[in-house]
Amino acid sequence: MPTPAFLDKLNATASPNARLRWVCDHPFGRDRVARYELGNGLTVLLLVDRSAPVVSYATWYRVGSRHEKPGKTGLAHFFEHLMFNETEHLAAGEFDRKLEESGAESNAATWLDWTYYYEALPSERVGLAIQIEADRMAHLVLRQPQIDSEREVVSNERRMRVDDDPDGTANEMLYKLAYTTHSYHWPTIGWMEDIAAYPPADCEAFYRAYYAPNNATVVIVGDIKPQSVLAKLQLAYGEIPPSVVPAEDIVPEPPQLEPRTLTVLKPTTNEKIFVGYMGPSLGDHDHTPLNVLAEVMSGGRASRLYTTLVTEREVASEPRCWAATFRDPGIFEITATAREGHTAREIEQLIVSEIDKLSSELISEEELERAKARLELNQVQSLETANGKAEQIGFYETVLGDPSAAFARLDATRKVKREDIRRVARRYLVERARNTVYLLPEVTHA
Amino acid sequence: MPESHTLDRGTLLVVESAENVPLVSLVIALRTGPAHDPPGRLGLARIALRMLRRGTTRHSSQEIDRRIDLLGAELGVDTSSTSIAMHGQVISRNFGAFIDLLADLLANPSVDLAELERLKRETIAEITESLDSDRSLVQRAFSRGFFGDHPYGRPGNGTLATVANITQEDVKQYYATHLVHGNVIIGLSGDVTSAQGLAAARTLSDALRTGSPLGDRVGDPPMPNGRTVWFVDKPERTQSQIVVGTLGTSARDADHHALVVANAIFGGTFTSRLMREVRSKRGWSYGAGARLSLERSRHAFAMSTAPGMNDTGPCLALMLNLYEAWVDKGVTPRETRFIQKYLVRSQAFEEDTAAKRLHLAVDVELLGLPADYYRNYRSAISAVTPDAASEAVKKRLSTDHLVIAISGTASDTLDAVNLAVPNLAATHVLPYAALG
Repeated sequence: MPTPAFLDKLNATASPNARLRWVCDHPFGRDRVARYELGNGLTVLLLVDRSAPVVSYATWYRVGSRHEKPGKTGLAHFFEHLMFNETEHLAAGEFDRKLEESGAESNAATWLDWTYYYEALPSERVGLAIQIEADRMAHLVLRQPQIDSEREVVSNERRMRVDDDPDGTANEMLYKLAYTTHSYHWPTIGWMEDIAAYPPADCEAFYRAYYAPNNATVVIVGDIKPQSVLAKLQLAYGEIPPSVVPAEDIVPEPPQLEPRTLTVLKPTTNEKIFVGYMGPSLGDHDHTPLNVLAEVMSGGRASRLYTTLVTEREVASEPRCWAATFRDPGIFEITATAREGHTAREIEQLIVSEIDKLSSELISEEELERAKARLELNQVQSLETANGKAEQIGFYETVLGDPSAAFARLDATRKVKREDIRRVARRYLVERARNTVYLLPEVTHA
Repeated sequence: MPESHTLDRGTLLVVESAENVPLVSLVIALRTGPAHDPPGRLGLARIALRMLRRGTTRHSSQEIDRRIDLLGAELGVDTSSTSIAMHGQVISRNFGAFIDLLADLLANPSVDLAELERLKRETIAEITESLDSDRSLVQRAFSRGFFGDHPYGRPGNGTLATVANITQEDVKQYYATHLVHGNVIIGLSGDVTSAQGLAAARTLSDALRTGSPLGDRVGDPPMPNGRTVWFVDKPERTQSQIVVGTLGTSARDADHHALVVANAIFGGTFTSRLMREVRSKRGWSYGAGARLSLERSRHAFAMSTAPGMNDTGPCLALMLNLYEAWVDKGVTPRETRFIQKYLVRSQAFEEDTAAKRLHLAVDVELLGLPADYYRNYRSAISAVTPDAASEAVKKRLSTDHLVIAISGTASDTLDAVNLAVPNLAATHVLPYAALG
C-alpha cells in the first residue's frame, strides 16, 4: 500500500479538490480494502487481487429511482443509458469503441437506491477506465437526437421486461400496491408515459445534481499497482468540482394497517401469486434473521415452501422468497406459479399456513444450519471474480456505508438462533402488512 | 492450464487448482445429450440425470436434498445438444463429503416410480410455464423451423407428449448405456489439489458402470430450404422477438476463425454493425446481436432483435439488408483490426477463474474441438485477414436460405413481416400454446 511519503508527493502540487488522503483499511475476508478520499469528496476503495490479470472498475452513484418525482419516473435509469453516449472528449459511440478495443466488458445497473457502472478490463488497461469514467462524470454532452433514440431503446426495454412479461408486470404492481407514499412506489424503469416525456432540461439538471465526485464511490478490484492507480485517479478526477447534492425529500411509508390485494389479468398460461410483507431495511438488525427465514422458506428443494407446494402437494412451481435489500424498509417477497388446475388463492392459503407455523413453532436446528450453509455458499460464490468482489464492496458501501458489510452480515448470520426466526416472522409476516397480487390468465376471466 | 488424466477404466478427469476462494466446482459431463434421446422419449437425458438426486437405495430424495444443503453445496443439470452435465459447487471444507454423496447418487440410483412420475409432472409444468417467455417461444420456433427432424432440434426439456412417455425402464436403460466410464468426463476446479482431485475422481469413477464412449452419430443439419417465416402468434404483444438464421460454422472448418471474426464485426459487440444500426441509430430494440453456435457438427448462425410492434416490419427489413450487405461486401480492414483486438484481449475474461478454465477444457472434449482450440485461440484470431473474413462469410452463410422466426401478435404484425421479406417461400403461423 502507498506510504504517507508517496501521498505527500502526490499532494505537493495538488489543488484542494485533488488532494488525496488515506482514510482507513477495511478487513475483507482474508484481504483488506483501502479507503481513500479526494478533496472533492470522491471515495475510492481499492482491493488488490492478483488471482487473474484483470481489473474490475466500478463507479457507484448514490442516486436511484428513490430520488425521482411523480411525472419524472425512470429518469435515473434513463440517465444510465445516456451515460454511454457523447462526452466533450469522446464522440457518440467512442466510449464503447475504446473499451471494446481494449477487450473490456462494460455495463451498468440502476435500482431504487443506486446506479452503478462497471468496466472489466485486462489489468494493463485500467488507465482507460479511469480516464473515461472521470470524463463522463464531468463532461457528458446531452443532445436531443441521442435522448430521442435512447427513449425508444428504454421503451423497448420496458416492453421486454414488463409489458410483455407477466412476472415483470405483477412485480411492478406489487410495489405500486405496497408503497403508497414512499418513492419505492414506482418502478425503476419508470412509467411508459413518463419515459415518453423527459425534456432535455430535466436530464441536464439531474446530471449536474447527482453525477459528481462527492456523490460517488469508485471501487477498483484486481491486479493493480495502488500507487500508479492513485496517481491516475488524482489526475483524472482531481479537477472535477463537487456538486450540491439535493437533500432527499422522501416521505416515509406509514405503517400498513390492513392487507391489500390486486388482481391483474394477462395472457399467461398459469395463475401466479406475488405476496409482499412490509419488512425492515437492509441495515436493520432484523434483516439478517429475515434473510435466513427466506432460505428456510424457499432455499433449495428441501425448503418448506418447496416441500409443501412442489413435492408434497404438487400445486405450484418455483416458490421464491426474498428479503429486499433496500436502504429504507423493503418488502419480504414471496412468489409462486400455480400448476395447471390449481389457483393462486389455493397457493396463498398454503403460504399463509407455512408462515403461521414459523410464527408459532421453532424451526428445527437442522433447518437453521441448512439455511446458514446455503447463505455461506452464496457469499463465497460472490467472491469468485474481481467483478463479484467489486459489486459486493460497492453495494454495501453505497447502501450501508461499509464496504465489508457482506462479511459482517455472514458473521451475524452464523449467530442467528431459531428464536430469532420466530421473532421476525411474528413481527413482519403478519396479515395487516400483507400485499397480494393475483396474476390470472386473461382468457378465463375476460 | 488444467491437468488431464485418463483413469483406469476410461473416465477422463480434468483438474484446475486455484486456492483463492474456499470453493470447489465440479462437473460430471456425458458425451451424449438430448440429441441422442430416442424419438418419442425426448427429454429422457435430462430426466435421467435429474433422477439421480431423487433417491438412492440408501437415501430418499428428501434426505439427499437436505444433505446437499447442509454441506453448503448445490447441484444442477445443464444440457446442450450433444452433451449433458451435472454441475455443482461446494464449500471446500465439505468437498470429501460431497464426493461421497455424489458417488452414492451415481452408484445406487433407486429410480423410484413415484419420484419419476413426480419429476415428469414437474417437467411438464416447467414446459407449460415457459410459454410465458416470448424469447423462449421464438427460440423454439427457430429450432423447429431450422432443424426440423434433425437431432439438434430436440429440446432438452422434451415436449409435453414425450415426457409423459418416459418410463422407469427408460431411465434404468439410460444409466446402463450412458452413465458409463468411457462416456463420462469428471471436472474439478478451485480449492482442490491435483492429488485430492485424482482421489475424488477415482471414487466417482468407481461408482460408474462399465462401458465405452458411445460415439456421436449426429451429422450436419441440412441447409434450410428457401426463406421461410415461422410466426408464433400470441395475443396482446407490444413487442416482437425476431431470430433470423442459416447454417453456420464448424470448429473444424479451415475458415472457422475467419467466420468468428466476421461475425463479431457484424453482431458480436455493442458497437457491431447490427447494434449500431438497430439500437444506437434508431432505438428500435434494446439489444441486437449475432451468434455462431458451436456444436460437434455444424450448427446455426443466428441474428436477433426485439423491436416494438410498429417497428417489426422495418426492423426485419433492415436486418435482412444489413445481412445481405455483409455477405456480399464482407468486412473492412479497419473493422477487422478493431475486432481482433477485442477478441484477443477479452479472452482474459474467459479464463479469469478456475471454474471458467475448467469449463473451456471440458468443452474441448465435449464439442470435439481441436485440442489446442483455446490455447491457440488468440493467435488464430490474430492471423485472420480481412479478405479471409469476407470470403468465409460469403462461402458459409446463405442469403437465399433463411429461417425467420418471430413471436408477436399476428393480427398486428404478420402482414408487415411478410412484406419485409423479399423472395419469401412460405409462412407458418404457430399458436404459442402449440409450442409446449
